[in-house]
This record gives sequence, structure tokens and C-alpha cells, in this order.
Amino acid sequence: MQTAHDPQLLKGVLSLLLLRLLADRESYGYEVVQRLRDLGLSDISEGSVYPALARLEREGRVRARLVSSNSGPARKYYRPTTAGEAALAEGIESWLALNTVVNSVLTRTTERNRK
Amino acid sequence: MTHSLTMRDRLRIERVVWSVDSRLQDLPRRSRIEKRRELRDNLRSAASDVGATEAIHGLGDTRRLAAEYMAAEYGDGGRPPSWTTAVAVFFGGILILEWLLEAGTSAFVAGVVGSDPNATGTFKWEGIAYVLDDVTFRFTDGHSTSIGGAWTPFTYVLLLLVVVLAGKLWRLIPAWRRHR
Repeated sequence: MQTAHDPQLLKGVLSLLLLRLLADRESYGYEVVQRLRDLGLSDISEGSVYPALARLEREGRVRARLVSSNSGPARKYYRPTTAGEAALAEGIESWLALNTVVNSVLTRTTERNRK
Repeated sequence: MTHSLTMRDRLRIERVVWSVDSRLQDLPRRSRIEKRRELRDNLRSAASDVGATEAIHGLGDTRRLAAEYMAAEYGDGGRPPSWTTAVAVFFGGILILEWLLEAGTSAFVAGVVGSDPNATGTFKWEGIAYVLDDVTFRFTDGHSTSIGGAWTPFTYVLLLLVVVLAGKLWRLIPAWRRHR
């Protein structure tokens, strides 16, 4: 059974995840959702990803381009800008630092409870 | 598995797209059109992948989605700009000003006729300082016609200011610049 992810926790790192995925490969909205689901975020909703992409675009962290599609009108593909790549590097560093602290605190608490 | 979209699927998708779009009316026009097209394309892709029902369900609450789009455009700092509010305040302001003019002129006419039911001559109401110009009445045997009562330049400026403030229209400027 897959664990449901706390939407509030996820919201805090969603832009980081999007930047990371788009840095690997430019994608359109639904494709990003599929990639996130394939990576284990099976409960992520399209309704949270599409506005997050719009927000990144407004902030100048991703750039969009229209690519013609066989199945209909041109599709909007996103990829990080230079500012987006810098934000990604900074975000990864912050996340890893926080993760180390949070892990150590949570693990210590669990060990104490076991005693 | 790829699902082929039926006419019913397309109509259901359109209904969702337009439901979201109707809540994005305060976005700059170009941004609104882009969001609509992108959402439609994403929904069609999702529907081809998992079926229209699942695709629409996956989108979640359309009101929330629209609110997230608005926040994405204007940031999280308070209420976004609203043309709807601005237009409502504009017409509300006009109604109030017209009511003031009507109430003032009616009271003036009633005063003149009250003192002399067969009043004849020219009378002048000073209007409302800074808001309405004076009104000149021509009475003939108790019946009157009037000219004047225009809004002062101050009133126009005040109305414009109130409309901009109520609709938070200054917040549209950065968004317009981005989408130009």
C-alpha cells in the first residue's frame, strides 16, 4: 500500500521537485504529473502542479515554449531558466541541510521512545 | 492504455475548462487564454491516458485551482485585483452621485414651490461643494426646468481613485508587463 503524502509538506518542496524534473528533461504539464507519479508521488493532483508551474514561470524560474503536437494544438513545454537552475541548486542545499537535522531529531526521538 | 476521446468526453472537459476560466476573469487577457489552452491540452492528455472521468477528478476542486492560478499570477499577498469589483464600485459611485443630484434638486424645487406655488423666475442652487456644480432653475408658474449639476473635476478624480483602490487595479500593471 502506498503512503499518502501530506499535501502541506509536499507544497513546500513542489517547486523544487518541478525544477529538478524539468532540469532533467523539458516537459508539459500533464507529463510532469506523470513523471512525479512514476517516481512515487502517486497521489499528487494535477490541480497543484499546473498552478505551481505558472508560479515558477511568473517568478522567471522556468521558461515555456510551444511545441506543435500531433494530437492537437501546440503544447506548452517548460524548462528551467538560469535563475531557476540557481534556485534549484540553492533549494537542494537547503533541503539536504534541513533533512539532516529533521532526520536526526526524529530518529533520536524514536530511539528514546524505544528505551 | 490509450483512451480515445468521445464527443461527450470533450464536452465534459470543455465544461471544466470554462468553469475554471470563468473564475480567471481578472487575469490579463493573454494569460487567461494561455491558461485555458494549457488546461484543455493537459486535460485531454490526461483523458487519453486515464479516461475523462479520472482526468477531471485528478484536477480536484476547480475553485481552488482557479484561486491557485490567481495566486500564481499575483502572488499570495492579499486579495488579487478585480475588474468585477472595480466595475461594481464605478456604477455604484455613479448611482450615489445621481441620487445626490436628484435629492438636492428635488429638495430645492420643493422649497421654492413650497414658498410660492406659482413661482416664476430664475433660481440657483449652489450644488454640493467640490462634488456637484451649481444648478440653475427656471420657474414658470410653479413649473421648473434646470441646467447644470455637472460633476466637478474633483468628483471624477475621486471616483477614479475609489475604483482603482476598490479593484486593486494597480496590481494588474506588473502582470500586464509580463504578458505584453
